[in-house]
Amino acid sequence: MIRDLKGMASMYKLLIRFSFRSSMQYRFNFWLGSTIAALIAFVEFALLAVILSRFGTIQGWSVQESAYLYSILILSKAIYRTFASDVHHLEKYLLSGDLDGLLLRPLPVLLVLMTQNVSVRFGETLLGLGMLAYSLSSLAADDQIQLWIAIPLSVLICLNGGLLLFGIGLATAATGFWLTRIDMLQNLTEDATHTAIRYPLSIYPGWLKGILTSILPVAFVNYMPALYIVRGEAGPWMLALSAAASLVVLGAGAFLWKWGISRYQSTGS
Amino acid sequence: MIEASHLSKSFRLRAGKKDSGSAIRNLLRPRSMIKEAVRDVSFTIGQGEFTGFIGPNGAGKSTTIKMLSGILHPTSGEVRLSGINPHRRRREAARSLGVLFGQRTQLWWDLPLKDSFEVLGAMYSMEETRRIRRVQELDDLLRLGEFMDTPVRKLSLGQRMRGDLAAALLHEPSILILDEPTIGLDASAKRDIRSLLRSVNEELGTTILLTTHDMDDIEQLCSRVLVITEGTLHYDGSLDGLRSRIGMPAQIEATFRTLEQANAAWAHLQGAGADSFGGKQLQERTIIVECSLEQRSFMNILRELETFGELEDARMREAAFEEAVHRLYPDARPAKA
Repeated sequence: MIRDLKGMASMYKLLIRFSFRSSMQYRFNFWLGSTIAALIAFVEFALLAVILSRFGTIQGWSVQESAYLYSILILSKAIYRTFASDVHHLEKYLLSGDLDGLLLRPLPVLLVLMTQNVSVRFGETLLGLGMLAYSLSSLAADDQIQLWIAIPLSVLICLNGGLLLFGIGLATAATGFWLTRIDMLQNLTEDATHTAIRYPLSIYPGWLKGILTSILPVAFVNYMPALYIVRGEAGPWMLALSAAASLVVLGAGAFLWKWGISRYQSTGS
Repeated sequence: MIEASHLSKSFRLRAGKKDSGSAIRNLLRPRSMIKEAVRDVSFTIGQGEFTGFIGPNGAGKSTTIKMLSGILHPTSGEVRLSGINPHRRRREAARSLGVLFGQRTQLWWDLPLKDSFEVLGAMYSMEETRRIRRVQELDDLLRLGEFMDTPVRKLSLGQRMRGDLAAALLHEPSILILDEPTIGLDASAKRDIRSLLRSVNEELGTTILLTTHDMDDIEQLCSRVLVITEGTLHYDGSLDGLRSRIGMPAQIEATFRTLEQANAAWAHLQGAGADSFGGKQLQERTIIVECSLEQRSFMNILRELETFGELEDARMREAAFEEAVHRLYPDARPAKA
């Protein structure tokens, strides 16, 4: 088991390396893509910052606190999309029949898929880190948090968030084995939920809160952990609960994936 | 060794009939339809055999190939590759299997060929020294040296096919499945690929199953032929056996000098003594008949027609093998793609 995992990890590294080598054939496209992604994320946050500076707080959440939510989201998403790149684009493989080729290899399909067209989200990562630094330092200056606790925990929260978003992405992608076209479903389960958790959950009506904490538990990416780290409204158990949420989502995703792949229908020829 | 026992695969299609109801109704209440792509197909291909797999488009060739290679799960039935079921133990079965899809490359599109070999070698956990030795062997066989450092996207189709073949053979599989390996190649590239495949089969003892629409592939390579139409296996045996079933179908076109002569000959053909002809057609002064050259020779038929007058022109066309296979199994209408 351990040897198997080690083998998979080194295989993963190798595949990533070659995937990189491929995308570096188109350097201009690579860097432009990274820059644009960062720019978009920045503009989105700038918009939020403008709103915040007008109203001061969102439901009692200050600018620094909101920046914390936003930066954790960006970093989690960057982790998810860097390490699992083409899982989000399974539809493309289903429509073209390119999944066939992946199924011929003596490797888990998911592993190969995760290493196709890898892009490192430098821009978003930098932006996220910058925002996190701003948020944590100004919160520490107000004695609201202690850096030596908040920093390592925030790293763990980002990793956990990456896993959770990956789990939701995986479960959504797996439905493609039944539905083939899933871009609209992804709009809902990935894009819309990611947008929703840029803001504190408390601004939403009850039913939406319910969805975002149960069926699509993205609230555990940033809002729930922040209740403990930043707001002190919950105990450390909240972090354990967030980790549990990731595990459940990941388990469901893996289950759907396994089931779906046995139903793969391929294309005409 | 490839064993297929009672393989069936049905797909659920969502397409409603075009003429029944509006597009909106089809969207709201999709009628699903079960299509049986492959029905109860069984065969065993022994180690070292070179087998051809033919049939019209939509007959179930690709579906069968994909079931054999573990890509599609059969609705019922079982596959064994050297004893291993590729649906239960896909990753294990994949190690002894090489697959080439002529229409689609499995190489890393933007990287040079040698990089693809490096990744593939690692995927099949080959030692580096073994991989280098193997690439050398394949280079001798397939002459890859000239384009080893070229990105795959810049290769010609013939080169790419050679590269893909080498990629499929890199991990020394005991079974090789080829889906249209000569598609789109020019005559000389086809010749190349064929002689390569022959030496792979003879020198390495690799079991090969090949699908094709080019009967020359079958004639020059395969000792055994499987014919599939409408999802059912119709023939499994030697090429000669298939040929004798088909006969030697040919179409003869004879043009008379005058309309009267043609009409007289036509009347004769309609009457008795003309059973040996299949399809008959009269187009002005030209009579078109179909027959088997095994039963009557071309000259013999011409002499019979010439009793009605001198012929202005006569020509014969041997029916394409695949077309003949069609006619042999009349329930096999070419399916629409």
